Amino acid sequence: MAQIEIRDLGIDYRKPKSNEVFSAVDSVALSVEKGEFVTIVGSSGCGKSTLLMAVAGLVSLTRGSIEIDGKRVDGPGPDRAVVFQEASLLPWRSVRGNVKFGLEMQRWSGGDLNERAMQMIRLVGLGRFSDYHPHQLSGGMRQRVNIARALAVDPEVLLMDEPFGALDAQTREIMGTELLRIWERAKKTALFVTHDIDEAIFLADKIVVMGRNPGHIKEVIKVDLPRPRNEAILDSEEFHELRKRLRAHLAEDMSSMQLVQEVA
Amino acid sequence: MRSAEITAGPAETRQLSLSFLRPSRSAIIGTLAVLAFLVLWQIAPTMGWVNGRFTSRPTEVFFAAIDIFRNDNFLYHARISLTEFVAGFALAIVVSIPLGVLLGTSKIARYLIDPPLMALYIAPTLVLLPIMVIWLGIDMAPKIAVVFLGAVFPIVLNTMAGMSEADPRFLRMARSFGATRFDIFTRVLVPGSLPALLTGLRLAVGRAVLGVIVGELFVSQAGIGYQLNLYGSAMRIDRLLVYALIVSAFGYTLTVMVRSVENKVRDWRSK
Ligand SMILES: Nc1ncnc2c1ncn2[C@@H]1O[C@H](COP(=O)(O)OP(=O)(O)O)[C@@H](O)[C@H]1O
Ligand SMILES: [Mg+2]
Repeated sequence: MAQIEIRDLGIDYRKPKSNEVFSAVDSVALSVEKGEFVTIVGSSGCGKSTLLMAVAGLVSLTRGSIEIDGKRVDGPGPDRAVVFQEASLLPWRSVRGNVKFGLEMQRWSGGDLNERAMQMIRLVGLGRFSDYHPHQLSGGMRQRVNIARALAVDPEVLLMDEPFGALDAQTREIMGTELLRIWERAKKTALFVTHDIDEAIFLADKIVVMGRNPGHIKEVIKVDLPRPRNEAILDSEEFHELRKRLRAHLAEDMSSMQLVQEVA
Repeated sequence: MRSAEITAGPAETRQLSLSFLRPSRSAIIGTLAVLAFLVLWQIAPTMGWVNGRFTSRPTEVFFAAIDIFRNDNFLYHARISLTEFVAGFALAIVVSIPLGVLLGTSKIARYLIDPPLMALYIAPTLVLLPIMVIWLGIDMAPKIAVVFLGAVFPIVLNTMAGMSEADPRFLRMARSFGATRFDIFTRVLVPGSLPALLTGLRLAVGRAVLGVIVGELFVSQAGIGYQLNLYGSAMRIDRLLVYALIVSAFGYTLTVMVRSVENKVRDWRSK
């Protein structure tokens, strides 16, 4: 059985100040195998974050179900950890303090806690910076801390919502390679949201393409590029093919969006 | 580790600062301006520009200060004022922090108490002084009450704001790691609202000092305000100025102290 099993998922939001309901995600079904790296790609507002937050247990489901290792998701749990997009590091805590946060929630303490945190900080290459505060770090370094904090609690599933979305193109590439290096060592199941096509292909075993109104899955594409990967595959024939395919999907989404706007 | 951004240094490098050996231009200009003012003040009555009876002179103020510290029962009066200040302020802290926390974390409590609280904050609490005197007599109690009333609202309101305006991204992050309500309170809300709390304390200092002095000016048998009243009716400008300086120095020092803690705490969140 697959590790993550999403069946007929639907999530409605109630619009503030009116009783109108708005469907952000509808009829989503998806299976993810243990150890698989799945990227979710789609234009902005198509429900990627909503889907990910549902798996995290941070939004409640309107329809359908999500199971992880056969257990129904009804809230956050120690089997999952989230790497958020923007600054979600606590500014008053050092790098080490931030990495400790999730461990503290699981009642780690004393020397174990400290050792585990330092181990994770070294894993993401920030050993020298463990006493720095977030505002003293670059955007890329902050996201490394974010990743270390999530990995520290040793989750089964790592959920990432555009973790490199705020970084410049070059840093983003470096972080992608780095993430794969870490992932290959940690062997976690990963769900990774992005709107960057190259990033979606580069990281994935499987790409989930989403469309909008309401958010749904348009296609699931298997990626058979060999691992371990590095920047060289960006120029391979297969990569070009996949890129073309994803572009076509997103272009379709864009034109349908424009149509809606023209009608409205 | 080959990535470029890891080798990039931290945004701030710590350096031993020797800047105090080289006074800045603003410090030099400031000192010169004060000196010029003192000289002008000293010679103005002699030159007949002003009436020295109303302006006194720096030298007179200086000798008045020595006189006051030597034989004006200064310590006695200072102790009384300080006691009123400390008692009122401590009481304000004990009441306002829990109240601010409650209001900051409970929407219902906030809807209920926010409007009257705001009104009391904006209204000068000194208007209640005569009532306090009627209720509490002319001893230390009404001044303690006025200090309390002056200090309590800025602390409550700032603590409340700090708690209720916690970054929702932090709350979501904490929940994703399975934080309980208590975890969120102790590890996100409390440290997150510390700067706001300190701002409240800083604003409260000024109001509390004002409360003591005005309270004593209004009716009292001892204290710095009492002395101010005394020398006011005797037209002792030199002594009045000494007391005014003492009061400002006290308020200023406390404010600067709180602000330095505040800045340290705010440093973490700059940017
Ligand atoms: N808390 C919310 N309340 C109401 N509407 C929301 C909420 N969060 C997201 N939405 C809406 O749901 C849709 C999908 O949002 P989101 O999942 O954030 O998309 P994406 O991550 O793909 O950009 C958007 O139209 C957004 O405006
Ligand atoms: Mg999103």
